[in-house]
Amino acid sequence: MSSDTQFHIHHDAPEVVGRRERLGVRLLIVADGAFVASMIFSYFYLRGLNANGAWVPKGGHTLSASTGWMAALPFVVAAIVHKIGTRNRSNATAGIVLLAMLVGAYIQWHQLATMPFIAKDDGGRHFFEGAYASNWVVLGGANLFHYFVGTFIALGLFIRGFRAKVDPTLEHWRQLTASSWFTWIAISGVLCAITTGII
Amino acid sequence: MTTLQSTSSHSRPIPNPAKSLITKLHMGTGAVVGIIFAVGAYYALRPAADDPNFYNQQNKALLAAMLSWSVGFLIGIGAFIGPFRWLIGKDLTAEEQLYLAGDGQGIKRYFKYCTDHKVVGIQYLVGVMAMLAVGGSMAMMIRTSLAVPGGHFIAATIYNSLVGLHGITMIVAMIIVATGPFGNYIMPIMIGARDMAFPRLNALSWWVLFTAIPVLCSAWFLGGIPTGWTAYAPLSVQAGPGMNAFIATILIFAVSTAVAGMNITATVVAMRAKGMKWNRVPIFVIGATMSVALAIPAFPTFMLAMVQTATDRVFNTGFYDANVGGSGWLYAHLFWIMGHPEVYVILLPGIAILMEITPVFVRKPLFSYNAAVLGFAGIAGLSVLVWAHHMYISGWTPTLNGPFMVTTEMISVPTGLLFLVLLGTVWRGKPWMKLPMLGMFAVIWNFLIGGITGIYLSDVPADNYLHGSMYVTAHFHYTLMGAALTGAVAGLAYWFPKMTGRMLNERAGYISFWFVQIGFQILFLGMFIAGAEGQPRRVVSFAAMYKYQNMISTGGAYMVGIGFIVLLWAVIHSWRKGDIAPMNPWGAKTLEWTVPYPVPLENFDEAPVITSDPYGYGKGN
Repeated sequence: MSSDTQFHIHHDAPEVVGRRERLGVRLLIVADGAFVASMIFSYFYLRGLNANGAWVPKGGHTLSASTGWMAALPFVVAAIVHKIGTRNRSNATAGIVLLAMLVGAYIQWHQLATMPFIAKDDGGRHFFEGAYASNWVVLGGANLFHYFVGTFIALGLFIRGFRAKVDPTLEHWRQLTASSWFTWIAISGVLCAITTGII
Repeated sequence: MTTLQSTSSHSRPIPNPAKSLITKLHMGTGAVVGIIFAVGAYYALRPAADDPNFYNQQNKALLAAMLSWSVGFLIGIGAFIGPFRWLIGKDLTAEEQLYLAGDGQGIKRYFKYCTDHKVVGIQYLVGVMAMLAVGGSMAMMIRTSLAVPGGHFIAATIYNSLVGLHGITMIVAMIIVATGPFGNYIMPIMIGARDMAFPRLNALSWWVLFTAIPVLCSAWFLGGIPTGWTAYAPLSVQAGPGMNAFIATILIFAVSTAVAGMNITATVVAMRAKGMKWNRVPIFVIGATMSVALAIPAFPTFMLAMVQTATDRVFNTGFYDANVGGSGWLYAHLFWIMGHPEVYVILLPGIAILMEITPVFVRKPLFSYNAAVLGFAGIAGLSVLVWAHHMYISGWTPTLNGPFMVTTEMISVPTGLLFLVLLGTVWRGKPWMKLPMLGMFAVIWNFLIGGITGIYLSDVPADNYLHGSMYVTAHFHYTLMGAALTGAVAGLAYWFPKMTGRMLNERAGYISFWFVQIGFQILFLGMFIAGAEGQPRRVVSFAAMYKYQNMISTGGAYMVGIGFIVLLWAVIHSWRKGDIAPMNPWGAKTLEWTVPYPVPLENFDEAPVITSDPYGYGKGN
């Protein structure tokens, strides 16, 4: 057996680099998963506790379940389209994934910008109506963060798809790695939608 | 344990850094861009004097400034050049990567975004020593103030801030004390890798952490963190502007920890040398990997707690305000779901270092490698099921106190395995009593006391009495300082020759060891007595009945302080003028001792192939 001792940074075989990168992303997904799980725990913990009957206070607003699903749908579309593109080794789907991320980010941003939960006290101070509203906004913020990261990845894959200089094998592995991320954020989006649907 | 094989010669590209932006960026540019970002964010969001939401808006401006500092610094030092180049499809060239690795840049590379894992390891080492020095100085101030009843060395108004800053500084330092310097410098060499799995992320983990240091320091100028390091809500929601520094520090640190944990885990899983099967992996690598792998899912819960605290402070959400449906219990859950595993994130690498050292200095194989791995895995697994023992007296679901008491006490079983392995290894051996080996005996004693006193605290009736007392403070110092830090110092003595090329001054090391260990017993055994008699923690003034215990504790603290000053002197002096170290001064069998100092950029000229376990002492190989 022999080993290559040439200067190696990113000179490992593309499959080796690709597998390593996918492992790294999956480990980061574990961390992100713990964050999402903690948010869902917070939601149901405060919902179950309903301290002072203020989970949704009297006269407080709630949003329909469809709001959460509207925000989650682009995640699911992006994950499916990206998976199809990866399976067919095609870069043509990267544009659709990018579009889905941008549309999703807009929907989530719009929902956050127009949420009806903020009230004012006698001193003119803003405050959130109750624990449901507080949880909703943080879950929405997490979705928005996922859309931003997804947009960055989708934009990168889209641009790189048009460049001839990339290593096709490594690029395919990066598609697979990105697939792990898009699948995870779709799962996360669906979990958040289910959560906020249970008021 | 190894054979070395090579077939080809080096053919490195020559760095051609001229005109590249990468060559112009360093800590200075990072600081300038970071400050511009911070000032810009603050002035964009600062509140008007008559703003009805002044408190929230001020928190928003400060938090934005702190986080912008971090992002700006990273932009200014060049951390995002790689991702940006990936985005636009112009990947970094081999020359640029070689430049980033710091090849031929001498001492300058320590102040740049350098991807060489050995540079990152040294950056962590220096950073950790600085943090421990600052945190230790705060401890000395606390103990000086507690030397006599009614001592006013520290004003009562800032006492809890000092305790809180000491706590968070030490916790952050202890989390990285072993996995930072040794996990980055030594571990890749130990497993036969040429680098970490993600060199740029490796540098990122250090520099992200670095940006948290001035943020945490800024708490002093913003009124401190009067909540202590646990930052319980709703106290932390109501606290002054200094609390923003705590929140931003944790958010930044959580990112650094996740990136570092992912990188170390991926390196160990994917980059071990040929022939290094799992049962041939050095035990330090196993312990360090379990530690960081445990941190990956644990820290995000604390991060969420900080996000929720921030939104309560900035947007008036109601996570922790019972008036609007929130609960302080939620914070306690999120904090301790991270908080207890974090104890083992700190502890496991320290114990693993001693398991690495002991066979070398006893010249015997590690006693029951499998039991050691089982012990680490058992502790890591159980540690996520015990968090509510910190909440026995909070009133949260008393019926669950029993189950949490059982899971907590079950941790004694895998912990016992670790003792068994250490004692079994040293049993009937003839220890070579060099400085690193002393740490093993100290930890057996300290960890025994820390562990047994922990059983009392896990017991619900006993905890009802001891909770919030100095007894608790003494207990966790016995585990974190007495075991984990002692293990890390032993690791420093052991790997110092490989990391610096020089031997650590043995005489100064012995003096330091005995001052620290004797002082430590005086300090914390005195505290145990005061705590068992009822002296509460986090209280600046205590009753006269505790005066002798506290006087004794403070005397012990001064001994510990002197010991650590001697160690610091020994490290600095030896690093500059110490005896030149041979390649393998301890006659150890792990891979890091097969490479010369300075360690080549890619560690091995010839890729190692592993043919036996790393602890084959006395087996004729």
